[in-house]
Amino acid sequence: MTDVVVPQDLWDTEDEGVLLTWVYSDGAVVQQGKLIAEIMVEKAQLELEAPASGRLRILVQPDAVIKKGQVLAKIESA
Amino acid sequence: MAAPVVDSGRSLTMARAGREAVIAAMRANPDIFVIGEDLGGVFGTTVGMADEFGSQRIVDTPISETGFIGIATGAAMAGMHPIIEIAFVDFIGVCYNQIVNFAAKTHYMSGGQFKVPMTMMIGYGGGYCDAAQHSQTLIATLAHMPGIKVITPADAYDAKGLMASCLADDNLCVWMVHKAIWGLGWLGLPIKTALATVPEEDYKVPFGKARIWREGKDVTLVGYGITVHHSLAAADKLAAEGISAEVLDLRTIVPMDRDAVFKSVSKTGHLVVADEDYMNCGVTAEVLASIAERDPRVLQAPAVRVANPDVPIPFSRPMENFALPDADKIVAAAKKTLGKA
Repeated sequence: MTDVVVPQDLWDTEDEGVLLTWVYSDGAVVQQGKLIAEIMVEKAQLELEAPASGRLRILVQPDAVIKKGQVLAKIESA
Repeated sequence: MAAPVVDSGRSLTMARAGREAVIAAMRANPDIFVIGEDLGGVFGTTVGMADEFGSQRIVDTPISETGFIGIATGAAMAGMHPIIEIAFVDFIGVCYNQIVNFAAKTHYMSGGQFKVPMTMMIGYGGGYCDAAQHSQTLIATLAHMPGIKVITPADAYDAKGLMASCLADDNLCVWMVHKAIWGLGWLGLPIKTALATVPEEDYKVPFGKARIWREGKDVTLVGYGITVHHSLAAADKLAAEGISAEVLDLRTIVPMDRDAVFKSVSKTGHLVVADEDYMNCGVTAEVLASIAERDPRVLQAPAVRVANPDVPIPFSRPMENFALPDADKIVAAAKKTLGKA
């Protein structure tokens, strides 16, 4: 099981972001390094990549305000 | 034994799907390059591409639309395929001469000696309080002009497949996406029906082939871009009242799939056309003409148009909502043509 964490270096400021969309639905099998979600911070759109391969378990839904370091999902070993 | 790890069900925004088609075509064809002002800044379609393709192929220019469209037209005549990003169709007027008199006409006026393969990516549409100079559609303005193909995807699958077709075409194609369905974070959450499962591999969606999003028997709702999504919402509401609506997406305005419109209206006998552009001399009228010129007897009642009522798009939220098409206006139009208003 691997946490999908908002990386500390995804953006430069301490601003909050918003989760825009999951590329995969809950339970889908994802591959490490592939785009899995889009995040917006201050009108800039940022990419979140899968930290591991496995089955995506979504914990946070689109439109949620998110912070760096927050766990957005988990990836179970497939 | 562990199940094989596979990608499944990628749901992309239109912005990302269109970008995938551009990247794939640029990798395959060194003659394709991007030119424009503030590239990637507004809609992010080309953001980061300079890292892969370099500044010779991702050409960021000053604010000089006439200049860079002229450059692009010349490059296209010389065998390249430029992609031009114009963030807001509202400003097409500043470079209209280059588009309509050079890019669109040179292929014809040179007797076919000079092809002008170029693709413009343009954002249009309102609904987010950006006032009269940043909210227009102006698709009829381009569709009116011979020599321009007008491509209007409504979801991510078509965004990628139609962009791939633009990049393989020998003529000027304008690939136009309504800002509210593009999947831009700063305009709010993506509209769910505009997200779509998008294959990783390359594919093309042909021009001039309409798509039936939802079959119905009582009334045909014709739209493109955002009005497809308004029509889908309207069809849900109509279904709750026992009215079966068919939703037809034109997909491309030029060429227009008049056969598909005629076929659907022949089945339902009733027609509503929705368009966020100005009504006068617009796409809605052209769709109606497709029926009137072929056989108006397929209509069991007068058709109804839902479009901007020929006023500048208001800044104020309630006034803008009053002017622009939405699901409720399409529902009312459907009931009107069905005599149930």
